[in-house]
Amino acid sequence: MEPILSVRRLTKRFAGLVALSDVSFDLGRGEILGLIGPNGAGKTTLVNLISGAFRASEGELDFEGAPIGALPPHRRAKLGIGRTFQIMRPFPGLTVLDNVAVGALFGTGGGHRKLAIARELAQQKLDFVGLAHRADRPAEALGGPDRKRLELAKALAMNPRLLLLDEVMAGLNLAELEEVIAIIRKVRDEGVSVLVIEHVMKAIRSLSDRLLVLHHGEKIAEGEPQQVLADPTVVEAYLGRRREAHQSGGT
Amino acid sequence: MKPSLVRTGIAAGLVVLAGVPWIASPSIVQFGINMLLLAALAQGWNIIGGYTGYASFGNSVFYGLGSYGTAIAMLRWHLPFGIGLVLGTVIAVVFAALFGRAILRLRGHYFAICTLGLAEVMTAIVSNLEITGRNTGLVLPLLRGDVLFYELSLSLVVVATLIVAWIAHSRFGYGLIAIRENEEAAAAMGVDTTRYKVLAFSLSAAISALAGGIHAYWITFIDPVSAFDIGLNVKMIIVTVFGGPGSILGPVLGSFVLSGISEILSTNVSTVAGLFFGAVIVVAVVFMPRGVADLIRRFDKYRWRYFAENVRANRL
Repeated sequence: MEPILSVRRLTKRFAGLVALSDVSFDLGRGEILGLIGPNGAGKTTLVNLISGAFRASEGELDFEGAPIGALPPHRRAKLGIGRTFQIMRPFPGLTVLDNVAVGALFGTGGGHRKLAIARELAQQKLDFVGLAHRADRPAEALGGPDRKRLELAKALAMNPRLLLLDEVMAGLNLAELEEVIAIIRKVRDEGVSVLVIEHVMKAIRSLSDRLLVLHHGEKIAEGEPQQVLADPTVVEAYLGRRREAHQSGGT
Repeated sequence: MKPSLVRTGIAAGLVVLAGVPWIASPSIVQFGINMLLLAALAQGWNIIGGYTGYASFGNSVFYGLGSYGTAIAMLRWHLPFGIGLVLGTVIAVVFAALFGRAILRLRGHYFAICTLGLAEVMTAIVSNLEITGRNTGLVLPLLRGDVLFYELSLSLVVVATLIVAWIAHSRFGYGLIAIRENEEAAAAMGVDTTRYKVLAFSLSAAISALAGGIHAYWITFIDPVSAFDIGLNVKMIIVTVFGGPGSILGPVLGSFVLSGISEILSTNVSTVAGLFFGAVIVVAVVFMPRGVADLIRRFDKYRWRYFAENVRANRL
């Protein structure tokens, strides 16, 4: 089957710095692909390139078989690419419900025209992520975990076909983590493809169908979670070399 | 307050306002025209400044283009006032759409400074064109009819407020608010930010230009300095911020309250009126930074604590 997203030789340079170098991969329909790597590996850059916040320096991006590399962010959103932001970006002056309603009013296919319908849909999404009891609060009044939920609800309200999640689980406790994992699984079961950046290893291992590992802007591994996490190159990227670790531990 | 109560109040207020020029003295009617035009201008600024979050100093340019468009059409081409008004508005909207595309890429202070420059440039251009009467300005035909101008201005306020009311409850308005609150997130959610900003700027321009055209015909004289006066733009901002930016009735309330205070001060303490006026603004910003509209909305719940909460929230 044709992948929903196809990334070919994607490179992003900022002045002299190469943030992402020659990265290629496919994301299948209904797949959850975990994107991991140490800090500064280029994970968020990759999400920004796919969502259109940045333009790639080189390489190609195909979404549902059509090139999207030259499209501005709102056009990609309209095609069905939804994202969350690692540094959360709620609309602080709006209520939680209206924050989510913006997603339903725009989003895939241009969204719903009628505010009443959009709000109803937003309410459903708030129920879905467990934030319904906060619907009428201003978004700026939410605490950390609830903000993560809000980011997720906003992206879901767009009714995306591809969901890009940038660290929606960071800082959550175990119970909250389980909830969010269940939510992402449910979203996938409804036919949405998901690219998820995560540092919480336990979560990403159980959630992802496949893993993609970035290090210094390059792809160093891709495949089944168990197999990738056992890969010596990956272990090295995260922990350093065994011998060095041993030596420094010994002194 | 209940929505039905608010609606009844607004309707009653409108009837009273419409009736004023038929019974009041000429000086009150003149005060009313100025107050209403300021309300319309503030409502126009509210669209780009209050809802979209772009602090425009270009609205006095649109006001000036509306004035000159109307005057030129009437004087040079002998067209009726109505057509002149439409022409002036079209010029301002085209100008806003063209320049908006370029300058709405700038954010925050940069946008403000750039629009500030526009006003200066327009003054210079208009001062040097034959068709605009160079720097001596234009004299329009005299029409004695303050009642007509009053009702016209009132209609403009009503139309502008209806437009803003529609914006506040529409997909378009939600897009604008999303841009104001976080432009990058808005784009990622599918808001065509450039198009929305240009539309908001153009709509804002249309209302400003209409006010300019009405004012020009009423005053019967325009010159570059008064038509493109930045001071007027500052007034729009003060009135909107005082009333409540990004609210439906705030700019209108702001104009009514501040025009009233300013009038009372200048008749009673004429020489130091400016000082007192300044003090009123400062007190307002400290105690009710979200404007009159927010005060009315929440005073019921908080009572006098409302002011204390604001002072605390802003760490003053």
